[in-house]
Amino acid sequence: MSQALFRFIDVRKSFGRRPLLRGADIELVAGRCALLVGRNGSGKSTLLRIMASLEPPDRASVDFGGGPLPWRRCRGYLQRHILYLHQQPYLFDGDVRYNLGYALKGGRDKRALVDAALRWGGLEALAGAPARSLSGGERQRLALARAWLRRPAVMLLDEPTANMDGEARHATLELLRALREEGYALLIASHDQHHFGDLFDARMALREGRVAQCADEPPAIAAVGR
Amino acid sequence: MQSLGEAIANALGLLLGGDPELWEIVAISFRVSVTAMLVATPFALLVAFALAHFTFPGRKLLVTLFSSLLSVPAVVVGLTFYLLLSRQGPLGDWKLLFTQSAMVIGQIALAFPILVAMSHSAFHALDRRAWETARTLGAGPLRATLTLMREIRFGLFAALFAAFGRIIAEVGASMMLGGNILHYTRNIPTAIALETSKGEFAQGIALGIVLLSLTFSVTALLQHLQQRRMIGR
Ligand SMILES: Nc1ncnc2c1ncn2[C@@H]1O[C@H](COP(=O)(O)OP(=O)(O)OP(=O)(O)O)[C@@H](O)[C@H]1O
Ligand SMILES: [Mg+2]
Repeated sequence: MSQALFRFIDVRKSFGRRPLLRGADIELVAGRCALLVGRNGSGKSTLLRIMASLEPPDRASVDFGGGPLPWRRCRGYLQRHILYLHQQPYLFDGDVRYNLGYALKGGRDKRALVDAALRWGGLEALAGAPARSLSGGERQRLALARAWLRRPAVMLLDEPTANMDGEARHATLELLRALREEGYALLIASHDQHHFGDLFDARMALREGRVAQCADEPPAIAAVGR
Repeated sequence: MQSLGEAIANALGLLLGGDPELWEIVAISFRVSVTAMLVATPFALLVAFALAHFTFPGRKLLVTLFSSLLSVPAVVVGLTFYLLLSRQGPLGDWKLLFTQSAMVIGQIALAFPILVAMSHSAFHALDRRAWETARTLGAGPLRATLTLMREIRFGLFAALFAAFGRIIAEVGASMMLGGNILHYTRNIPTAIALETSKGEFAQGIALGIVLLSLTFSVTALLQHLQQRRMIGR
């Protein structure tokens, strides 16, 4: 049984008087891909943003090995180890190479690392292109390659295949598969599980502000068992 | 009194002949206005960033205040600092009235609201994802702030040019705080206003040409940058 890298306990968040998250619990395991489904507006993005320390919860505890700590005391740690990918990636005003290099602190091998990321994301031909001229699929690949360079422990992906055609979706899924194989903990939020084939190991649903494990087996395991 | 044709001919003579008094006046204008910009810009950028990034009580009021300060006439700014800096004023001990420092202070006060209001709207218009992306990719608050400034650099240049354009050409504050002293506080606008009233048209026209070419270049540069920004999107 693999150990969870992060456990988020009792995450609560309201906007105004409307409670959105009412005690959500969720955990992240290295090399595993979890899918979080939920209707539009159920709070998936909000939960992910809280986990990545981009938005404060009303309350939450985080356990990353040493027992639960209040979220506020973990902000810096979360920021360093959990990366959030927006549904529509934000690309900086510059070329593809600049955007990739942003994830690095600098250093002598920066150029070689950026080259490796270009290859990893299949972006070699676009290295000098203005990032904002890329198509939706290329933007997502660039965002994933940039995240890959940053090497966080966890990547939280918000609807990574929204508004993509079959081919672009396929390319994105291949990259996600590669990330999972490299040992990243992945959490994908989506309102539609059918986009992800057998990529995920566990499926959860965000309903009425809480996370419920889905009882049915993921397709991958179900297929093997048959 | 000279004819207009004569005056223009003399003006061109002054310009092309490198008249030392004329170019000294131009240099004073630049020294004062560039100093004012150098002092005002870093603070104004910080204020603009804070107004766009943080929520705190009174934030909206401050934004409104800075936008309304945009249209305060230069003479009123001049009058305010005149009263503060004059011998009986609360800052009279600094003995700054009728010095270049006093002119710099007045021009800072004129430039500051323009810089804040225009950079604030540039920061404000920027996508919230820019900050979040920088942070989640490992940038600390300082690097993330610099990244935002880079993202909106054309908007910030526009703010700089607009502010410089205003203070290099304003006459009210420079007149009241500097006193139009030759070789010391006489700058382009005060020279034009005062020398022309004494019938010295040639110098006024020559300085007018300098000022016009300057504002024209700044505006052209600004438009060029704005077009680049449209294409850059
Ligand atoms: N900053 C905010 N201020 C006020 N309300 C907000 C804010 N952020 C989110 N909300 C509200 O919280 C609710 C949940 O938003 P969230 O984006 O987390 O849902 P989601 O499950 O990701 O939905 P979708 O599937 O459409 O992406 C929405 O009703 C939204 O309007
Ligand atoms: Mg969402």
